[in-house]
Amino acid sequence: MIQSEWDGDRLTVYLDGEIDHFASVHLREDIEAELKRRPASQLVLDFSDVRFMDSSGVGMIIGRYKTMKAHGGSVYAQGLHPPIDRLFHLAGLHRIIAIKSGGQETYE
Amino acid sequence: MNNQMELSFSAAAENEAFARMVISAFLVQINPTLSVVSEIRTAVSEAVTNSIVHAYSDDTGKVVMRAKLDENYVYIEIEDYGKGIEDVHQAMQPFFTTEPEQERTGMGFALMQSFMDEVHVSSAVGSGTLVCMKKRLNAQEDL
Repeated sequence: MIQSEWDGDRLTVYLDGEIDHFASVHLREDIEAELKRRPASQLVLDFSDVRFMDSSGVGMIIGRYKTMKAHGGSVYAQGLHPPIDRLFHLAGLHRIIAIKSGGQETYE
Repeated sequence: MNNQMELSFSAAAENEAFARMVISAFLVQINPTLSVVSEIRTAVSEAVTNSIVHAYSDDTGKVVMRAKLDENYVYIEIEDYGKGIEDVHQAMQPFFTTEPEQERTGMGFALMQSFMDEVHVSSAVGSGTLVCMKKRLNAQEDL
């Protein structure tokens, strides 16, 4: 089960723990189910409580980016700890996903 | 310090986290920085995931993880006895994957190479794959 919250048509998903291949398979199913239940124009992935991520997590994020992009939506990431931020850069995720550093910024 | 360990576990996705936990616990004795632990955990996770996702995609089997501390280096081996890799050179190219529909990125080997100093892969079709990785542990920097 994912922790998520809706604000208008923005879905924020609070990820936690370790996002590896095992976790990514479940996250993919849960997030897709939520997006099918109710369409979102913005998907915000919150990494504040994520302690570990590998390339399986990267694949899961790119998958959700494709889902959102297919109907003109966008994906944002926030709360990246240094190792996760480094992985985002190594994988080139920052080129397709806007990264929010604080809680005050707006989602454009 | 010289020390070594060997662990054998089922190629089950649940054991990806277990393998990371074990390598972290093994490294505690050298008092590594968080960043070194994070890099090694990621490299181990990528190699173990490859074995689970690709080597045993049609069946199940064992994955063996060996680690050795020798002076200023850590040596890690991840071995499986699965289907093997036909073309190792191709498999190691960034973004090459045989399973894009499973949201595999093809970044596993590239990340192992980014986070470790050396990565060697030997594989034989039908008998398995061995990934050997080496990383220098700079004791001075870790203080």
